[in-house]
Amino acid sequence: MATLSLQHIDKIYDNNVQAVFDFNLDVKDGELIVLVGPSGCGKSTTLRMVAGLEDISNGKLLLDGKDITQTPAKDRDMAMVFQNYALYGHMTVYENMAFSLTLRKEDPNVIHKKVLAAAEILNLTTQLNKKPSQLSGGQRQRVAMGRAIVRTPKVFLFDEPLSNLDAKLRGSTRREILLLHKRLKATMLYVTHDQTEALTLADRIVCMSMGHVQQIGTPLELYDTPANLFVAGFIGLPPMNFLDVTVKGDRLEGEGFSVPLSDKEKSTLASYNGKEIVLGVRPENVVIGNDVPVKVFSNENLGMNTLVHGNIMVGGKKGMKLTGKLKGWCDYKMNDEIKVSFDRMHFFDKETTNAIREGK
Amino acid sequence: MKDQDKATRVDRMRYIKNKFSSNLCLLAILFDVFYFVCIYKSDVSTYYYTIMIGASIVYNLVFMLAAFLSSEGVKTYSEKYCYVLIFLGVMQFVRIFIIPLRASTAVVTVAKVEQVVMGSGQFAKCVVYLCISGVCCLLAAGVGIVRSRTLKAYLATLGEEVRRD
Repeated sequence: MATLSLQHIDKIYDNNVQAVFDFNLDVKDGELIVLVGPSGCGKSTTLRMVAGLEDISNGKLLLDGKDITQTPAKDRDMAMVFQNYALYGHMTVYENMAFSLTLRKEDPNVIHKKVLAAAEILNLTTQLNKKPSQLSGGQRQRVAMGRAIVRTPKVFLFDEPLSNLDAKLRGSTRREILLLHKRLKATMLYVTHDQTEALTLADRIVCMSMGHVQQIGTPLELYDTPANLFVAGFIGLPPMNFLDVTVKGDRLEGEGFSVPLSDKEKSTLASYNGKEIVLGVRPENVVIGNDVPVKVFSNENLGMNTLVHGNIMVGGKKGMKLTGKLKGWCDYKMNDEIKVSFDRMHFFDKETTNAIREGK
Repeated sequence: MKDQDKATRVDRMRYIKNKFSSNLCLLAILFDVFYFVCIYKSDVSTYYYTIMIGASIVYNLVFMLAAFLSSEGVKTYSEKYCYVLIFLGVMQFVRIFIIPLRASTAVVTVAKVEQVVMGSGQFAKCVVYLCISGVCCLLAAGVGIVRSRTLKAYLATLGEEVRRD
């Protein structure tokens, strides 16, 4: 397999619209990197630049240390799996998988062995004589993956491969991709807007917004220590609650509530005393307590947990919204008043939107 | 060829259609069309307006239909279509003796002038087209029979049947 290095890559279209700004990433051998972000953030454009389907405006792309910035797509030894499968409808599964090798005029017997091996990995052996129209969405996507596997490319590129599948199939195909990665130990670049896919598949996640890289890190790093408000809000479901608060000594004062700070939190926020910051609380960090009065407006039971949506009470009036993911089965009615506390808090600078960390 | 390569080649037939035979059938149809176009090249009054040419036209349509269906049949390693192709191939050779040979020796009088119905060049072309068409059919059938039997024997060892899609 291979290492991939993206150095200061920009994408500027002919109409001067810049889609990607100074993208830097080093992908290690056998690593699965997931590019995640909302629609239009430049993740697919980045992938297409890596594949050679889009020109790189500025910067360098290195594959195994070799500069391939200007190398045509066909010579890059990368295989791409598309969202819409891009299978040939008139060909059987076998022919679809063998097609790229046939074009390269490889020995038919070698092609046959490679196709059968790929079909075995993807559990498609019994489907080889079928046409794509006779297959389910998940099977079609596996054929598309098989077509990539038979080429034994240096890098696999996935462009939202699960977006066309229903939720159940998406889950099973996601697990198959993960198994495939473990089995092939291949270098993979995977684009998705689905944070669940990103968190479950990635060795490292690149979170993007508006063409800029917001944070690169392991799934846990992005979840646990988000670099800024965007990452904090994007990673995690339901999204993180953001509350405007003022640091006052050993407490955080918000509209209608006040929460105590631990010694560690106090030292982290030492330079912000008296200033306004943004307090971030994940719904799963909201627990029944005594600090924040909340008026419930919705109660969603999920089985193991209950999603409780409410407004923080400000002198009898409704204030900021707050969502809590409480453990167990709760049966709160609309306008019930409860009190909650936060067992983990994230702090963000209100001006820069960056996370406030100790020593920074 | 190594035994392993042979085995792989046979195994490939489970997934690869018999395009060679199928394409030969289509080639046979193409040369049949050339033959029929060629036969009308000369303007020799009413020589061709007989029951024979009517039958020939009908047979030509039947040939094209049967050859096309057979091309689809042999593509999926069906042995019975190979026998249809053998018949069609033999008939192409027989056809040489029905119209081209007769026309090549016939003379008609048009405006008190004797004219040869089919010149030797045109006759040669008709014969070549029919021969190529016939050979294509027979070759397609031969290859089809060998392959379908090989595949059938191989699948029998695997406990499967020849596909019919």
